[in-house]
This record gives sequence, C-alpha cells and structure tokens, in this order.
Amino acid sequence: MDFYIDALAAVLTLGPLLAMIGATILGVFIGALPGLNPVMAIALLLPLTYSMDPLVALGMVAGIYNGSMYGGAIPSILLRIPGTPASIATTFDGFPMTEKGEASKALKVACWSSAIGGIASAIALMTVGPLLAKVTLLFGPAEYFWIAVFGMASVGVMVGSDPVKGVMSATLGLLIGTMGIDSLSGQARFTFGQTWLLGGLDLIVVLVGLYALPPVLQLAEKSDFKGLSAAALKLQAIPFKSGEIRSFIPTWIRSSGIGIAVGILPGAGGNIAAFLSYNAAKNTARDQDSFGKGNPKGVAAAETGNNADNAASMIPVLALGIPGNVVAALVLSALVIHGLQPGPQLFHQNPVLVGGFMMEMLLTSILIIFLGGALATRVFAQFQRLPGVLLVPSIMILMCVGVYVINGRPIDLWVMFAAGVAGYFLEKVNVPLAPIILGMILGPMAEQSVRRALLISRGDPSELLTRPISATLAIATLLVLIWPIAKSIRKSRAA
Amino acid sequence: MALGIATAWGASFYQGAGGTYPMVLGLLLTLLGTTVALRALRAQDSIERVLVDAPKKLWTGIAAGVLYIALVVPLGFYTASLLLMLAMPYALGFRRFTYALIVSVIFIAIVYAVFSFLLEKPLPREAVVILLSGGG
Repeated sequence: MDFYIDALAAVLTLGPLLAMIGATILGVFIGALPGLNPVMAIALLLPLTYSMDPLVALGMVAGIYNGSMYGGAIPSILLRIPGTPASIATTFDGFPMTEKGEASKALKVACWSSAIGGIASAIALMTVGPLLAKVTLLFGPAEYFWIAVFGMASVGVMVGSDPVKGVMSATLGLLIGTMGIDSLSGQARFTFGQTWLLGGLDLIVVLVGLYALPPVLQLAEKSDFKGLSAAALKLQAIPFKSGEIRSFIPTWIRSSGIGIAVGILPGAGGNIAAFLSYNAAKNTARDQDSFGKGNPKGVAAAETGNNADNAASMIPVLALGIPGNVVAALVLSALVIHGLQPGPQLFHQNPVLVGGFMMEMLLTSILIIFLGGALATRVFAQFQRLPGVLLVPSIMILMCVGVYVINGRPIDLWVMFAAGVAGYFLEKVNVPLAPIILGMILGPMAEQSVRRALLISRGDPSELLTRPISATLAIATLLVLIWPIAKSIRKSRAA
Repeated sequence: MALGIATAWGASFYQGAGGTYPMVLGLLLTLLGTTVALRALRAQDSIERVLVDAPKKLWTGIAAGVLYIALVVPLGFYTASLLLMLAMPYALGFRRFTYALIVSVIFIAIVYAVFSFLLEKPLPREAVVILLSGGG
C-alpha cells in the first residue's frame, strides 16, 4: 500500500491536476448535453492522449467519466431528458422537484450524491483491486482464456435485450480482432492484400466510429433547430430543512454498496446501479408514495448508485485486464496505448501509475463537489440553448480530427465512418455494440491464451478444464450462457 | 449469416491453428445469424417496425459525412470543416445562416487552437494556402 503515497505525490503535480480539473468540467458539460455521452467523449479523447504522460491521459479519462455521470443529472432534473442512460432514474424525482420549484435543491443533492458515490467507489477500487491482482498471479494461459470468454459471454448476454444478438455481436468483435498478422504463426489473415490491414483494424478508429457516429446520426434525424429557452433553465435557490441532509446518509451508504457491487459485475452498468439503488431507497422508505413525486432521496439514491458504479467497474480491468463495460474497455485501451499491459503485472511493474489512476478516480469524484455545484450547473445548462443541429457537424469534425491524428491516414476516416454507419443500423436492430469492442480487445488475448495452453499441454484440450480455477471459470461461463435460455423456458412454461 | 459463411470459407485457406480459430468463429457467427433470421421469420406476422425515424435526414447526414471525408485531403482540414459546419445544418433545414456562421467560426478557431497550435498535430494542408503561396 506504500505505492499510494508515491502515486498521490505523482498525481498532485501540475499536469495531472490540470487534466483532472479540465476534464471534470468537460465531463459535466458532456453529460449535460443530451446526445453526448461519456463513452463518446472518452473515445474522442483517447487518440489525443498518445503523446501525453499516462497520468495526464488517465486523469482526463477519470475526470470525464465521473464528471459526465453527474452532468447527466442536469437535463434529467431540469428537463426530464436523461443526459446519459445512467441518469434515467434521476428523472423520476428530479423533474417533479423542478416542477415544484426545487430544481436548485435537486441539483445540489445530485451533485453531493454523485461525489459521495464516486468517493466510495474509488475507495473500493483502491482496496479490492490490489487484492484481486494478487489472486490472479496464480493464473496461467488456460485461466486467461476462460476469463476472456467469461467476460465476453457475460457482457454479450447481459448487455442489450437479446442474449443471442449479444453473443453474435461479441463473435463479430472476435472476428474483427483476428484481422492482420497472426502473432503466433505470422500468417496474414483477412488483409485482402492491403498493407494497412497487416496490423489489423485500429481499435480506437473502430471505437470512435461505433460509439460517436450513431448518436450524431440520431441528432441529425431529430434536427433540433431551436435549443432551449432561457426561461426553461431558470433556477431558484431553496434552502434545506434542518436535518434533511443527515437523512440522506442511509441512502448514500446503501446506494454506494449497490453501485460498487454492480460495477464489479461484467455487463452491468451505471443505469442498472441507479435503478437498483432507486428501488432499494423506495422499498425501505416509510413514505413510499412520495417517490416519483419529487422526493430528494430518490435523486440521492439514483445519483449515488450510478457514480458508485464508475471506479468499481475498473476493478476487473486493472486486476485482470478484463473490461466489464465499454468505459472500462476504453481505460484498457488508454493503458495499452501507453504500452502498459493491464493485469496482475501492472501492479508490480507500474504501481505508481495504477495507484495514480485510482487516486485520480477519487480526486475527480471530490472535484465534482467544487466544480459541479449549482453555479456551475447554471453555466453548463446554458449550452443547452445551442441548436442540436449545429452539434452534428461539430462532433463529426472532432471524430475526424481525433481519428486522423492517430496514424495520419485518410483510410482510417473511411473505416471509422463505415464502422459508425454499421453501428447505427446494428443498434436499430437491437444488436448491442459493447460486445464488439470487448471482442476486439479480448479476442487476441483469448486466442493466444488457448493456443499457448494447447502448446504447453502438447495439444491436450483437457488442460483447459482440469485445473481448478479454469474449471470454475468454465462452469461460470456455461451458467452465464445457460441462464437466459433457462429463463425463457421458465417464462414460456408460465405463459 | 453471410458474413459468417464468408469468414469461415476465407479462413479455410489459412494453415494450422491460425485458420482454425477464425473458422470456428465464422461458423459460430453463421449459427447465431441463422437463429436470429429464423426467429425474425417466425415473428413476421407481428406489426412492421420502422427502422429509421427520419430517413431523408439520416441519408443527408451520411452523405454530408462521406463528402466531408472525401474533401478533407484535397481541400484541407479546416476548409472542409468550415464547409461542413455551414452546409450540413443548411441541408438539414437550418436557415439561420449568420448564427451558423458565428458558431462555425468560433468552433473552428477552438479546434485550430487546440489541435494545430497547442498540440501541434499534423492535419491535411489547406489547398487555399498552398494555392496562395504559389503551390507545393
């Protein structure tokens, strides 16, 4: 744990500090604009971080992630438009509070709750992450193969409404991951004679297209010409009653626990954490009927829950190298961009960096209190007066500049655009996009691990199942895949 | 489904384990694609779903994006970007040209300050500048 002191010293230097402050402000702004989301923002940011110090780059990722999860609450409370999918539950009581003239109070509750959820989550990351990393030192190629398969199966099954489409999406990602030169045999696969494909498709190029273009095309479809009126964004300060803030403490503790647990699970995200936290707050309240009619505890539960998911979702990615959601996959990409391999070795080889990132998750959560208050909210809300139709070309330009600077190749722009258009239509037919990215990231790891395991066992496939940890992981994978089938059979029998 | 079959067929030309893995994935994709297609056929009697809410605007957006990418290298990054900022909202029906021009100029100036001035990222050169400076 000594490395946390060195990490704190490294983080509290000018570069990472400015990165965290700037990115938290940017994150709140992005979250506040419906149509923009943290995944899109981090995807756009990543190409620019190639030449940056890793702690500066990761500080920006942490700031945008935590800031935008709070920022999503602003339009949820003021306009009943969730800024991010994770802030849907915030609308339930946030908007009724606005209707009662308590918007400023709701925003304060959201701000403090987001910060508390984020702080609790960062503490969980700092304590559980290194412990889990120690366990993974026992892992060999067979275990890594099953961990990759388990991660993909969980995300494929849990993300989206249709497990078959989720697994299909993960398989597509795995196939994209096979493009380029096979690192074990040196054979060029699916390169179609193109030299630029020898290194495979660049993850960030595909990621920017898949995650940034579909919302842009949706904004083009909506074509909002007016933006919002100043009157719709007017706030009035309402003081808290005596003891009211203290009454939030049980909600904050309960929702933090729920958010952390959900964050560690692969496939589940901030929206699930917020819904579960909201339901728990409602079910345990004496005045259940007041929920949905402007109860500030509803806002507190939803916002604590969705922010408590943030840092906790980094636990599997830092300790195992397995991202459980898309933001975690982006963090994994950020680490890989800087030549770092997530997993147990990361804690031994780069303790200051990994500890520094954990500290940055903690500090950016604290920063929300200072940067995301009602005053800042007033400023951010003004951006919503900008007509949405002008955001469409602006984001497209940012996507192109971000992708172009990676390799300086115009072909990447076409790949990004094609991936984005494909992503738009895949989303329309309910095929989730997250498993594609996870497949691209975990595919090469899964393939290399299984082939290494088979080389070690001289081609004996039982090696993949006979070791206790790998057998447990294989059973867990099987259960994850069988679970939706069993559920649908039970449902059809009941019907 | 077709993608899965094509991949599995393509992978059959690769030797050893380097070909087995993508072939298995191709077959799996075919199987999953067939499952989805069969389910869709079985559910065909249900109400027809609208895939795109505003097709004209969607294709306008896609066409503008394609044109922009095609023009970025020959025209230069900032010239093509300014054209996109002005033409795309207009094509989508936005008629407040002065408003769009002000936002465009401010936005392009910010992009220039961040990417070209602060981060010094090399972007496609401006054709106008090359022409004015007498080529090359």
